Amino acid sequence: MRAVVHVRLGWVYEGIAMPMLHRRAFVSAFVALASLAALTSCSSGSSSGSKRKGHAGTPDDPFVIGMSQCNLGEPWRVQMNKDIKHAAAAYPNVKLVFKDAQNDSLAQRAHVEELVAQGIDLLIISPKEAAPLTQPVAEAFKKGIPVIVLDRAVQGEEYTVFIGADNKRIGREAGKWAVQALGGKGKIVELKGLMTSTPGQDRSSGFREGLDLATNKEIQVVFEADMQWLEPNARKEMASALATQSDIQLVYAHNDPGAHGAYLAAKEAGREGQMKFIGIDGLPHEGIRYVTQGILDATFLYPTGGQEAIDTAIKIFNGEKVEKKITLGTRIYTKENAAKGGEEIK
Amino acid sequence: MGFVYTLRGMLRERAGRVFQTALARAVAPLAVVLIAGAIFNANGAFFTWETHRSMLREISVHGILACGMTVVILTGGIDLGVGSLLGLSAVGFAMLAMPMEVAAPLAIGAVLAGGAALGAVSGGFVARFRVQPFVVTLAMMVFGRGLAKLISGGQKITVYTSLSEVPDTTRELPAVMKAIDTKILGGNVSVVTVVFLACAGVTWVVLRRLRVGRYIYATGGSREAAELSGVPAGRTLVIAYALSGVMAAVAGICQAAQETHGDPETGFGYELDAIAMVVLGGTTLSGGRGGIGLTLLGALTMGMLQKILSLNAFQTAERMMLTGVILMVAVLFQRRLGSEGQR
Repeated sequence: MRAVVHVRLGWVYEGIAMPMLHRRAFVSAFVALASLAALTSCSSGSSSGSKRKGHAGTPDDPFVIGMSQCNLGEPWRVQMNKDIKHAAAAYPNVKLVFKDAQNDSLAQRAHVEELVAQGIDLLIISPKEAAPLTQPVAEAFKKGIPVIVLDRAVQGEEYTVFIGADNKRIGREAGKWAVQALGGKGKIVELKGLMTSTPGQDRSSGFREGLDLATNKEIQVVFEADMQWLEPNARKEMASALATQSDIQLVYAHNDPGAHGAYLAAKEAGREGQMKFIGIDGLPHEGIRYVTQGILDATFLYPTGGQEAIDTAIKIFNGEKVEKKITLGTRIYTKENAAKGGEEIK
Repeated sequence: MGFVYTLRGMLRERAGRVFQTALARAVAPLAVVLIAGAIFNANGAFFTWETHRSMLREISVHGILACGMTVVILTGGIDLGVGSLLGLSAVGFAMLAMPMEVAAPLAIGAVLAGGAALGAVSGGFVARFRVQPFVVTLAMMVFGRGLAKLISGGQKITVYTSLSEVPDTTRELPAVMKAIDTKILGGNVSVVTVVFLACAGVTWVVLRRLRVGRYIYATGGSREAAELSGVPAGRTLVIAYALSGVMAAVAGICQAAQETHGDPETGFGYELDAIAMVVLGGTTLSGGRGGIGLTLLGALTMGMLQKILSLNAFQTAERMMLTGVILMVAVLFQRRLGSEGQR
């Protein structure tokens, strides 16, 4: 349930650029766009066309797992692929095939069909959207290919396992931690992801549950703004928060880059020492680094589920029974425990 | 009744005269935004210098892009590639300055040269093969973003990124990056704002003091007419897009320094913000009319507007709608007064 950030400012194209251009320019631009789209979606079409037989699962004839990723533009998804690769490296009888749909549902649909045609033994998919991918996933499942759906769900029941984290719960943990860190008293700035996205909504509503403002009457959220998951925007919004609020004790950002941007803004104002910064995601090269550097006070892991997906795949290959839904937990990383790999929150 | 008509006519004529110059027409939306800011001042936050200092820092990267964009639009073209070139330059600069530990002047020089080269490629296609600038730079936008992802491996380039698999935990943030993200003049002006003004200055010199500046206006007015009167339109176009590429590279360096890393995704959609700044200033998309002073005013108007919306904690949806409406109204307003003033 990660957000899509590629939706900014599309209005200028239609609002200004288009009417000013000659019609011919517009037509050729459209043709160019269309052919670009065609190029990107056709580039990986290597179907064998043979009927699915399945592999023996030995090092000579390894099981083939197809991994359909919706968008490798986000570091978190790059990490997901890395985790899957790393987990699968332990099994010499497993081979991986990766596809990146570059944030295009139809391209991802094509990828699923290609993977099925290639004769994979198991499909892992992290779908861009539920509706357009439900059908292709169901078709693969009906052909007897086990399907592991990662992070974002599809509709219906025609898949083997869903593995995902719980944004609401992570937000709640962040809220509880904030109450404790503030000693039940203080002013908070919340920098939201995209409030039109489910993760943004869940990370916000969960946080409010965790804060429990009805009981903790001395805690106040004094400024909140959308930063669309983007660091430069977070820095901008935080500058406004600092300009209007003379008293801030804690900043909660819906992702680590947002928290980092807020820190930079506070540092510019010379006020970074007066407040705590917490973020979500906990990527090794990002949030956890910021915590060890002392920039963030805490980050909460939003797990990729890569390891769990491979573990589950192996169980399926071995004929073991697996649950239909696996909800991943979270970990908290603070200065004290980051070096030891954080602490699991049960 | 007759009296009312005369009064209206007089007012109209007066307004026409006041807004005769493009500069005055560009000041009007800025004045409106300033008044709005004074009213919605968020408990006085709008009246502090810190607010405006950070506003000036926030518009700098977009403004630098708008400088190059002004030149390209004056030739009658458009450069959609600058957002991607910004991302590519940010990654390239972060790569050179941090894991590769190249000396700062060399790293900056290399990135600027890269920006100029890719810009010149766009210009070359526009000039030599007469492909529409929209299409050429659309291709550059896709290509540049791809290249940024390729050289960064899809990850942010940070102080810890090393050329081997093992992360380097000993390195400090390079001095050049710290220097770009600081304030000077007693902490009153951000360095990136100074860079922005310097870029605007360079653009002004190119447009108003060099021969190529006259060529740019002439080419934008009518390429055929310009060529007939001996203007090397092809070369002029290459120079214009190369300049835009250099500006994108400067913006990329500033972006990397401010974010303390090189993010291959950064600058997405910035080309549209830059175009909006240019258009809001009053430079016409058909080419040949406008200038860098107008773009500065457009950038200020845009930045001020965003700041007011942010200070008052408007939601994203409202902000986007308001920005769209204000942009449209401002452009219409300029168009009307402009045509009346010329009559």
